Amino acid sequence: MSVLFVALPVALMLGAAAAIACVRCIKLGQFDDLQSPQVRMLIDERPVTDKSTKDA
Amino acid sequence: MTFCCQGCRGAYLLIHEWGLEDYYALRDRLLASPTEPVESSKLGRRPRWDELDDSSLLGASALQAVGDGLVCSRLAIAGIHCGACVWLIERMAPLVPGWQDARVGMHDHSIEVTFDPARTKLSNIAEKLAGIGYQVSPWVEGVDSVCFRKENRSRLVQIAIAGFCAMNAMWIAIAIYAGEFSGMAASQMMLMRCAGVLLSIVTTVGPGRSFFRGAWASVRTRTPHMDLPIALGVGVGTISGGVSLVIGHADVYFDSVAMLVFLLLGGRWIQFRQQHRASDMVSLLTRLTPSFAVRLNDDGTNTKVPSDSLVVGERISVAAGGSVPVDGSLVAGSALLDRSLMTGESLPVGVEIGGSVEGGSLNLQSPIEMEVVATRAESRITKLMQLVQQASLKRTPIVQLADKIAGRFVVTLLGLALLTMVVWWQIDPMKAMSNSVALLIVACPCALALATPLAIAVAIGRAARRKLLIRSGETFERLATPGVVWFDKTGTLTSGRPVAGVDGLDDESLILCARLESQCRHPVASAIVDAAIRRGLSDDTSLHVADVCQIRGSGVRGLVDGHEIAIGNLAFVRSLVRDVDADQVEEVARVAKQGATPVVIAIDGFVKAVLAVGDDLRPSSFPAIIGLRNRGWIVGILSGDHPATVAAIAKRLGIKPEMSLGGLSPEDKLQRIESSKADYKAVVMVGDGVNDSAALAAADVGIAVQGGAEASLQAAPVFLSDSDLTKIVQLVDASRATVRLIRRNFRVSLCYNILAMSLAIFGVINPLIAAILMPISSLTILSLTLAAKPLGDSDQKAEVAR
Repeated sequence: MSVLFVALPVALMLGAAAAIACVRCIKLGQFDDLQSPQVRMLIDERPVTDKSTKDA
Repeated sequence: MTFCCQGCRGAYLLIHEWGLEDYYALRDRLLASPTEPVESSKLGRRPRWDELDDSSLLGASALQAVGDGLVCSRLAIAGIHCGACVWLIERMAPLVPGWQDARVGMHDHSIEVTFDPARTKLSNIAEKLAGIGYQVSPWVEGVDSVCFRKENRSRLVQIAIAGFCAMNAMWIAIAIYAGEFSGMAASQMMLMRCAGVLLSIVTTVGPGRSFFRGAWASVRTRTPHMDLPIALGVGVGTISGGVSLVIGHADVYFDSVAMLVFLLLGGRWIQFRQQHRASDMVSLLTRLTPSFAVRLNDDGTNTKVPSDSLVVGERISVAAGGSVPVDGSLVAGSALLDRSLMTGESLPVGVEIGGSVEGGSLNLQSPIEMEVVATRAESRITKLMQLVQQASLKRTPIVQLADKIAGRFVVTLLGLALLTMVVWWQIDPMKAMSNSVALLIVACPCALALATPLAIAVAIGRAARRKLLIRSGETFERLATPGVVWFDKTGTLTSGRPVAGVDGLDDESLILCARLESQCRHPVASAIVDAAIRRGLSDDTSLHVADVCQIRGSGVRGLVDGHEIAIGNLAFVRSLVRDVDADQVEEVARVAKQGATPVVIAIDGFVKAVLAVGDDLRPSSFPAIIGLRNRGWIVGILSGDHPATVAAIAKRLGIKPEMSLGGLSPEDKLQRIESSKADYKAVVMVGDGVNDSAALAAADVGIAVQGGAEASLQAAPVFLSDSDLTKIVQLVDASRATVRLIRRNFRVSLCYNILAMSLAIFGVINPLIAAILMPISSLTILSLTLAAKPLGDSDQKAEVAR
């Protein structure tokens, strides 16, 4: 079971990497608005051709 | 029919088209009624979009180039209610030529528009948005919102770190317990312990710091605080963990410590968010739109300038329905001003040339020109705002129940720890230290510390669904013991708008009168028109109106469909008809005595009726006052209106004359609130006007009522977003229920604590028992909190008048 001496630090480091990523996201403001993103994902992107017809 | 937004209106039309109306029957049974429509007359301004094209007036919303010849601007948007609104707006953007993109932020009600300035203008976009029911205005960055964003982010970062540590500490702890049962090599056990203790140290010095800061502040100011026992438990747990790791072979409580910090931070964040959400909804209503004035230049042109830049001696014009920006004197036109928000007067005041016009009042009738006599900073309205600031600083914070309990708890706990130490020293000196340390850790009242913010957050959330926005968690505790409630009169107990009692008129006469009055812009005229509409009579435009003659301060006469009609005061009507009966004269006197304005109506030379036009009581005032009184509260009136009018209203509501005070200035109201603090346990102020703001801020609990001035909304910690005053009674009930819930939580948490503490005192506790006992006590209390229903979903309306 000596693999634990390697596995434990590795696991903790992986977790820490995720925690640091999360903290970065918070600092960038991704968690400021917890209401509109859940709706926005329902809005379909308009097809590329749409833009050209609009411009015409 | 009222709709929260255009999206919902569209949905309504579709539902009807498909014949699915039953949906509404179902929905109305399950949900509260839709929001009251905003009275446009009360808002008093018409949207003018061309302001948005003047870059000097945009402020923080200034256009920014984003490349490709496109520009981007961030505006404030009003009218966003649900996800459908976001969908509608963001879908609409590409359909408008030149408008590239829109991004709506629901959390702060902002919209970021990207457009091509060569093909469209901001005013065009604003107009399109207004067309589907959303109003945009330049963004004003409030100090509050910047602080909130920073605070929210830093709290989330703390929670993220604490969460990471707690979760990892938990699985390490599981490995250790498993190892103790089935055997584990000493070196591996050591590794696990090292990792666990490391994580708990990270939690304590990182996210756990805030508890130590709170505890230190509490020790320094000698006020008990919940942070004190928490800091004690967390601190002792971490230090003993580190020490036992070095000297070996003592129990380590690292998982409990990390989990505790994580749960507590989470609970506090939830309360913080709920409170902020309520204050957010209020600040949306009061979003400070930059105030503009139309300055009249010497060369006859006029310019739109920010009100702050006006100087004494300049001439400005105020449109009919507009709000007066600064104090001034009238130079042209004759003004009829609604000063109710500033002084509490229920009837509009006429001002002639040379008369003074107070900033903050509403210009009702015709456009006026005035000369500035005081800059905005020196105007009365600004002075009143400063008074609010001072009043809110003077408010003494209360020591919350949980903190009070925590204070006593710490003293008992330290005593017990000392006792344990001394007693065990006699029996087995080796165990004295570890047993008292275990006692300090397991006694940490995490359940109570977690339950209080959650109980408050749940109550705030439930209240918000009943349109009671609460911005301060203290409100519940302050309202739990009865004291005195002071009501403002105009706009709070009464509707603030004149209402005509037309019972003495038949339909036919009322139609004729309403037709004539629809030609006038006077509060009495609109009261009569409203009365006709309320009776279900439509304005019959086929009736021909001629010879309308309005005499200021007297009345109006004219020919409607061949009938000669005169509406006005007694002297005016008397001059037009042959004679007036004695009992009609008596009626006029009687109405005047009640505090209403008598309006005499004559048709074809005969007096038809005497109407009482007055600011009528809201239907909810009476049940609210009865309800409060039944719950042991004393009710009083503080009004700026004429004492006779106040006395008449007080009599109708059954309020004692010595508790109904009229003719008060804002300073008098503030004084009255301060002085009643000595006599009563809780002082509540309910009001709506600028003149109430200082009193609202100074009271233990200030409750602002819908339709009021921005200033009063910002001063009060509670906002009633519809005019139903019985909600105050519900709030009182909910406060008692919430405080009861907090007390019950404490009792349950105490039971668990006594169990854990006695185990520790007798030396039979170990980290495994602590790890099981502590979450169970938290879970019990959480479920108790969430199951309780202060302001529950049952219909409480019937209970109010009990």
